Amino acid sequence: MSDLDKAIAQLRACRPIPENQVRELCYKARELLIEEGNVVSVDAPVTICGDIHGQFHDLMELFRVGGDVPDTNYLFMGDFVDRGFYSLESFLLLLCLKVRYPDRITLIRGNHESRQITTVYGFYDECLRKYGSANVWRYCCEVFDYLALGALVMGAATDLQPTDATFQDPNSQATALSEPDEIEIEILNSAGQIINRFPRNNYIGSQDLSQISNTPSSPSQSLEQTPSRNGAPGTGASSASRGSSNNTGSAVLCVHGGLSPLIDSIDKIRLLDRKQEVPHEGAMCDLLWSDPDEIDGWGLSPRGAGFLFGADIVKCFNHKNDLSLICRAHQLVMEGFKEMFDNSIVTVWSAPNYCYRCGNVAAILELGEDGSGAGYAPRTNGDVGRSQGGPLAERIEQRQGPGRRYRVFEAAPQDSRGMPAKKPVAEYFL
Amino acid sequence: MASQSGQSRRVKVYELKNNDWYDRGTGFCSGQVLQPNADNPDGRIVVVSEDDPQRALLETRITKDDGYQKQQDTLIVWTEQNGVDMALSFQEADGCAVIWEFVSEVQQRLSALFAEDGLSDDLLDAQAFVLPEPELGRLEEIEANIRGASMNTHGREALVKYIMNPEHPYILRLAPLVEEAEKQHNAPALHRLCSIMKHLILLNDNSIIEFVVTDQAIMGVVGALEYDPDFPSHRANHRQYLSDSSKFKEVVHIESPEVRKKIHCTYRLLYLKDVVLARILDDPTFSVLNSLIFYHQVEIVTHIQGNQDFLSQLFDLFRDDPQIKPEKKREAVLFIQNCCAVSKNIQAPQRASLYTNFIHHGLFTVIAFALRHHDAAVRVAGTDVLVALIDHDPHLVRSHIFTAMKDQTTPLTDTLIELLLVEVDLGVKSQMADAIKILLDPTSANGMDMMRAGQANSEIMAKRGLTNGASHASPQTEAFIQAFYDGSAKRLFRPLKDLEHRKDMLDLSVHDMSMMTHLVDCLCFFVRQHTWRAKAFILGENLHSRVAQLLACPHKFMKLTALKWFRTCIGLQDEFHNRHMIQHRLFEPMLDVVYETMPRDNLLNSSCLELFEFIKRETVKQLIMHLAEQYRDRLLGITYVNTFQQLVLKYDQMQAGYVPAANGIEDSSFTTQEGTPARIVNGTRFAGLKDMDGDEEAYFNGDDDAEDDDDIGLPTALKAGLTNGASPVRPLVDYPDDEDEELGPMDGMELLASSPDRDVLVKERKSHVAGADPHETAEMDFFEDDPRRTSPEQTSDRSRDRERGRDRRPVPVEGSPGRQGSPPEPLASKRRRDDEDDDELGKMMGGIKRRNSSAASVTSQTGRSQVDGPTKTSPLVKSSGSPVQQHPVGGSQPMLRRKGSLKTKNESSGLGKFAIKTFNFGTKQQQQHDDETTNGDAHLPESEEGSGEGTTVEAVKENGG
Repeated sequence: MSDLDKAIAQLRACRPIPENQVRELCYKARELLIEEGNVVSVDAPVTICGDIHGQFHDLMELFRVGGDVPDTNYLFMGDFVDRGFYSLESFLLLLCLKVRYPDRITLIRGNHESRQITTVYGFYDECLRKYGSANVWRYCCEVFDYLALGALVMGAATDLQPTDATFQDPNSQATALSEPDEIEIEILNSAGQIINRFPRNNYIGSQDLSQISNTPSSPSQSLEQTPSRNGAPGTGASSASRGSSNNTGSAVLCVHGGLSPLIDSIDKIRLLDRKQEVPHEGAMCDLLWSDPDEIDGWGLSPRGAGFLFGADIVKCFNHKNDLSLICRAHQLVMEGFKEMFDNSIVTVWSAPNYCYRCGNVAAILELGEDGSGAGYAPRTNGDVGRSQGGPLAERIEQRQGPGRRYRVFEAAPQDSRGMPAKKPVAEYFL
Repeated sequence: MASQSGQSRRVKVYELKNNDWYDRGTGFCSGQVLQPNADNPDGRIVVVSEDDPQRALLETRITKDDGYQKQQDTLIVWTEQNGVDMALSFQEADGCAVIWEFVSEVQQRLSALFAEDGLSDDLLDAQAFVLPEPELGRLEEIEANIRGASMNTHGREALVKYIMNPEHPYILRLAPLVEEAEKQHNAPALHRLCSIMKHLILLNDNSIIEFVVTDQAIMGVVGALEYDPDFPSHRANHRQYLSDSSKFKEVVHIESPEVRKKIHCTYRLLYLKDVVLARILDDPTFSVLNSLIFYHQVEIVTHIQGNQDFLSQLFDLFRDDPQIKPEKKREAVLFIQNCCAVSKNIQAPQRASLYTNFIHHGLFTVIAFALRHHDAAVRVAGTDVLVALIDHDPHLVRSHIFTAMKDQTTPLTDTLIELLLVEVDLGVKSQMADAIKILLDPTSANGMDMMRAGQANSEIMAKRGLTNGASHASPQTEAFIQAFYDGSAKRLFRPLKDLEHRKDMLDLSVHDMSMMTHLVDCLCFFVRQHTWRAKAFILGENLHSRVAQLLACPHKFMKLTALKWFRTCIGLQDEFHNRHMIQHRLFEPMLDVVYETMPRDNLLNSSCLELFEFIKRETVKQLIMHLAEQYRDRLLGITYVNTFQQLVLKYDQMQAGYVPAANGIEDSSFTTQEGTPARIVNGTRFAGLKDMDGDEEAYFNGDDDAEDDDDIGLPTALKAGLTNGASPVRPLVDYPDDEDEELGPMDGMELLASSPDRDVLVKERKSHVAGADPHETAEMDFFEDDPRRTSPEQTSDRSRDRERGRDRRPVPVEGSPGRQGSPPEPLASKRRRDDEDDDELGKMMGGIKRRNSSAASVTSQTGRSQVDGPTKTSPLVKSSGSPVQQHPVGGSQPMLRRKGSLKTKNESSGLGKFAIKTFNFGTKQQQQHDDETTNGDAHLPESEEGSGEGTTVEAVKENGG
């Protein structure tokens, strides 16, 4: 058993590894991450995860529900640390897995992977308590600076391979769709049973942009909806989803926060010098801080960093960059995931019962592999001109979204973990 | 007696919801007395709907102290027992008067009734509320009673009074039940006891929380809390942990029993906060815990600093005496570190006297001792103390160093440098590098100065602030930095300089590389902070070429470090640096890196692209000329991105006489973190920029004067030529230095006029984001309604929006909401400019590293501890070393928080949420603000509901609970 495997085993038991091992690990991780582009290319199949926030036991639950590394290919969209009481163990475990299986797990940076934020929201304090000095925090922050800013998932299948999973509610089976229909969205519970399933609606809409952007989304009702309805939970009106006649899937952009007014093409992200503390403004900041919102264009973000962006922005961006979907995290959604703007963007949240008291469920998103090979042609590094489309057509055609399988899960059972608590101060003078 | 006001009156009923008066309907109002003969008369106000006489809009029982108010003849306002504010708006004053009379009468009778009984309020409440006797069999009943009572404010107060009644201390009487239940293995009872204890603590009452950490109560309380019903199969070991007395290190015996008690209580409070209650703490209780801890710590530190005997004994431990165990010395250092960490929270005068007393007893000797200690933890503690001291008062430290230099002893700077170069622990090494940077940071000056000036009148202070802003640093600081460049700098950068003799970079050890990283990092900081002194040193030592050697290092992170250096220099847009790089053909190795990495999409490659993209975007003519003339083919050979062809194209256009705008169309949509000038020039902010000219000019003047004094003969060719535009590179000539002086001021203006000083702009924009003001919220709402934003197609609007989005500059409390629309008044922008330097510091190192010392925990604690009343010298502002205090424009923003280091971002994303945590202690709004900040990240349920600005903490708690 290599040292790395030992470290993984120790971390899986939620026990921190010694400081010198952390240093070694961080150096190795740095060597790996330095080779990654600002936007990493990831091939489907992949399971996309949102915020973890130091909820170690729930991360274990995530692996239980989604499959273990390296059997499942994972993409984590940042915010590994802060808030929860096991930021250190969670981040180090992910980093160990990254070093051990570099091709099977991708980590990108969230707004909490920053010196400033971690000093306020817990990670700094945790390192100090667990090691007695800030060294480990420094090593981790150094790694944060090397994390990629986004990922581009290639070759995701447009339809889901049907699973042999049973329906959670046997009555649903009757109303479920007939087999030949293409499944666009499937929602499973943590036991692998189908909660809900939605066919792709090939209706090509003729709505104009303004109507689309006004489509209301009603996340609160989602999981209670009856399966016969055509709208997917958390998606607003999925029946308005407009697949184009083009049957090839296109890429999915994953980023922690969202879009930036300074970034109109993915190539522009490449021109950032990402090795720095997350700035207070600018493109890099926006990618990690922005949120989609029901507005037109860009808006001021109440967070004090990043922007709010509306459906029109997302649709233009997706069209220009030949994306079918933007996948992001950064916001708590009580149902674990929430699709917005006619399924053009989705928020995935993977910290169940956030802060140990929010009562939300978590979700991960599985994108299947396009077996036909007719998917999005991955560009070689160095291709130019993804973004050089002509002027935008008056009505923007939306790319057909990839088939999406959401696995929803709840917080790890209480008994599988100790009582979550911070580590107390070891000795005191005052 | 029966219905005293039978005549109905038409009235509107209002209820306060989310700070808005919500109209519950219109009806007819009457006062009624039910059970008129009972002991306790039940007077009610009843409003019956005018549409449907069967429906009562309101029926409220009059109590004797609900704060009824009559306003403006037709309005009666009061607070319901459940905390809801209500109002009755009468159509006619007559009706109002009648009801008011009725209310008064009922209240009088109620009061009279109690007076007759001769009972005080307290006793009455206590009588009204009684919990069952604490017995194992009645726990369910007790829990239900407590739960019921804590539903409303009134009940909670009564409950607290009952619990805390000294005649029968309920908590102490519950404690034996834990052991009893343990003996019986009665798990349900234990779980119930735990719930009861949780309930009592979460009542969020100071007196209860203070009581549970006393010696007599603590074991019983945490004993009960060990059996959390949420974890039925677990038992915590709180009692065991807390009864372990070895955790308390008493380096020197503390005589006062009260202080010793305080120390233990503080520790228990921390334990409660971090461990026992960590998972269930709501924000109000968290605040109460934090403020209790804060007050205790202040008292302890105040006691220690005033106790001369204690201090003598403490510092006596460091004398040369083999009798004193090394372990004792080690603990003494850690004790002092602990004191300094705590002192960051307390107010500046107290902190000042703590440090003065420490120094008087020999703090510097202790630091020197600690820095050379064999144990890395002690070295860390030593640097921590030093950094805390510098943060507190850099002058103090610097004058100590001056004294040492006069006395021909090794000054602290040299000790630090020496240690940095030999340090083996990589963590300590980086902390020492940080300490050196902070020590030499000109913007960290004047902290204490301003505090002292704070006692003088504010006008003088403002003036001083401005002078300081213009000249950046006091003469002492200047002299200190000069002394550094005269001697120590060479020692510090020796390893870098020594690279000259290296043939290749293949055999650099891990320590060499870590050293180089820190040195280049320091250099990046100095070149931005020390301007001409650093420039002279760097050019004199030819450090550009040395750093360029690192580009050949096989380790990519070293290449990155080197690239960061060149990017920093190019970002300065300084002709000397540029010329030096040109002269030594340093772009060659940079292009090599591009060729090595292309077309791979990796971090190193992106960093290179960003650097060249910057030159292109900013049209740095000097460099474009050089690149295109010397490396045309190599540039054109890079085809996978168009940056390099465009560089050549720009050159060709320049040659053809066409001067492209700095913000060409093709670039307008993109910048890095630096922000393009376009966003400012097109926006409404230009006025602010103009204002900077004067300042900038003064700055340039000042620099040049100083430069005059030391004749270093910098090459100064081309200056005039380059600033006015397209003149090509001419052969380099060494002009005497005075020419530089002549050109200086003009040059400064030219520079600003032609291409706005990048750094100034960048910093300015940063400072916007950093601001913090509770009133920000209102303003944001205001702008969210701004119709202009709904037309995103118009670029002008969009850029204005961008401006708006970025403008987080703190606005004076009295400020008008139209801040973005109108250009900022001169003073404000002056202050902003001063903030910039502050930010610069934050960005370069302070913001990042200085927190290591532990300002961090300080932040989160004090941020929430809600010191009562606005304190003039906020410990936080000080601890972050912010010179903001220097510029109290209008005196309206005393609590400005330094953004570089301690800015907090509220991550809540709910609409109308507040953006940035502020430090305006003491107001209700502020409290809530802080609470929300801690909810952070997402919509926690309570913050969602409690987001109305007017809601108090109490309300938030109720919603959340």
